Amino acid sequence: MLTISVVSHYPKIGDSPEEQLLRRSIAQLDRKEITEADLERVKDGVTRIVIEEQVEAGVELVTDGLIRWGDPLTYIAGKIEGFRVTGLLRYFDTNTFYRQPICQGELKSPDGLVVKDFQFANTVSSVPVKVALIGPYTLSRLSQDRHYKDPEEFGKKLAAILGEEVKRLAQAGAAVIQFEEPALLNFKKEFSLFKKIWTKLASYFPEDIEIILFLNFGNLEGLYPEILDLPFTTLGLDLASQPENWHLLGNGAFQKKLLAGIVDARNTKMETEEEIREKLERLINLASPEKLSVSPNYGLEFLPRSAAKKKLANLSRIVREFREAKVKA
Amino acid sequence: MTLPILPTTSVGSFPKPDYLKKARAQAHRGDIKDKKLRELEERATREWIRFQEEIGIDILVDGEMYRGDMVTYFAETLKGFEISGLVRSYGNRYYRKPIVVDEVKRLKPTTIEWFEFAQSLTKKPVKGMLTGPYTIMDWSFNEHYKDRRELTLALAEVIHEEAAELEKAGAEYIQIDEPAVSVRPEELPLAVEAMGIVTRGLKAKTLTHICYGDFEKIYPGMLEIPVDQIDLELSNSNFGLLQLFKKYPFTKEIGLGVVDVHSHVTESKEEVVDRIEKALEVFRPEQVYVDPDCGLKTREVQEAKDKLRVVVEAVKEVRKGLVSARR
Repeated sequence: MLTISVVSHYPKIGDSPEEQLLRRSIAQLDRKEITEADLERVKDGVTRIVIEEQVEAGVELVTDGLIRWGDPLTYIAGKIEGFRVTGLLRYFDTNTFYRQPICQGELKSPDGLVVKDFQFANTVSSVPVKVALIGPYTLSRLSQDRHYKDPEEFGKKLAAILGEEVKRLAQAGAAVIQFEEPALLNFKKEFSLFKKIWTKLASYFPEDIEIILFLNFGNLEGLYPEILDLPFTTLGLDLASQPENWHLLGNGAFQKKLLAGIVDARNTKMETEEEIREKLERLINLASPEKLSVSPNYGLEFLPRSAAKKKLANLSRIVREFREAKVKA
Repeated sequence: MTLPILPTTSVGSFPKPDYLKKARAQAHRGDIKDKKLRELEERATREWIRFQEEIGIDILVDGEMYRGDMVTYFAETLKGFEISGLVRSYGNRYYRKPIVVDEVKRLKPTTIEWFEFAQSLTKKPVKGMLTGPYTIMDWSFNEHYKDRRELTLALAEVIHEEAAELEKAGAEYIQIDEPAVSVRPEELPLAVEAMGIVTRGLKAKTLTHICYGDFEKIYPGMLEIPVDQIDLELSNSNFGLLQLFKKYPFTKEIGLGVVDVHSHVTESKEEVVDRIEKALEVFRPEQVYVDPDCGLKTREVQEAKDKLRVVVEAVKEVRKGLVSARR
């Protein structure tokens, strides 16, 4: 109950020289001093470390930290035939950037986008691993489509590709798969298109898999409670920097599972014990503890690694104490 | 000093020569003394000032040989800031994002000494270069102030103090960069209010540089920013913005970015002439200053020099046409 989790990415480097291995290795590859295979081994090593750091901080459902991802779109788009990856654009309201994928031909996915990554993480992790993916709507919305020339067809094609991936991941043993769909909260008028794309995506979902729809970079105003009609298991929300989301959830019983992002992953300011406890109290009034899990409101790469670690440890200590107190009571 | 029509200038940063890059890395590791680093920063500044004079730029910049990140540089001298660990911006690029941990105060100047140094090297005007309060707020973590507005307005006061002192030190042009302004259109009024504080009572010509933008979302609202001139990257958008300015007239002076700073390829003189002439269909010549799209610090030294040269040569060509048209 009240599982302690994370959203997606984890800082790739820290401040100590050892923690900067990945940055140095990428620079070395650029200078052709090491090979691609060498860099892959470094990424494996860093993935192992960031999983350990999450576990040490008390996280009970980890991700692989998306150490291999250059940005939220191009790691996936770059693997799909038909996409070309181009110039830098700002990612929503952050001071980070992504390379925009351009679809210029029939899209064709390789047999496995992140299956190997999941298998590696699952082998090295002592706790369950969640797969974090970008959702088909956001991937289509932030890309340029010069081939299908139809947002619905383009989005559904990506839904089919990601849907096949869900099937492969499930076969490989993944029990929890999350899609981040921040574009929806920024283009709310396209909700009906979103629904069509997600209906297509859901047609691939095997039984017994937990699908998380994580929505951040905005609030649910205008989409709630309709969003709950969509075919997913768990709704992930920013409940740290979006008071409007609390307002919308109200006091009624929450119908699905809820992943509550109650720690602000975009500011170094540490949450106080009172703040977190108050949110936990509100959450257990919304749903039974089995249906609840908690995490930061975003992936952790917007923070320095030291602050990310501290925030996770802080969250997990307070949640554990809270759970124990409730069990005793 | 009177300026020619279509004055040429730069947005702010130039690439650091290899000897300075090496020295900065050495200084970071503690292998060389600060004094040695300072000598090399001065040498590089002298070289850039001389280069700008040689090719005939009208309003010079010091090239920011001594600055790293444009926000962190201010955070390092202002009280109330701490510098955090490394945060990724994209690819393999990281920066130290400042953290506001206490009330922001300006106990000492940030830019005055370098401005005075650079201005002492030339008779042409050198721009005073500041980062705007909205951008410093947006690019910092806030652990102290109640909200974004409160922090922005506090920063506006300290940047105003710096601007006033630059003016006292002789700066005729003061540029207050606000690249973050285009990101959250709903906060444009806050940026406008903050800039009003920064430029309050200044007699120097004030300008702001905005980039990375979806300008359509903040235009014509951005004309409310209380500065004399707005500097924009126009090449990057293939001059698509001009259509927008035809619809709603651009009421301020414009700093016209005419070469792309993200590309290794130097534009031909003809291309740049063509861009300026296109712009002159929308703007009056008296309204226009010409420069590269943005700071050139990510280019190689030679690429930056080539790009600056082509700006000056293209402007000279266009000026000839303007003069003969008036005869």
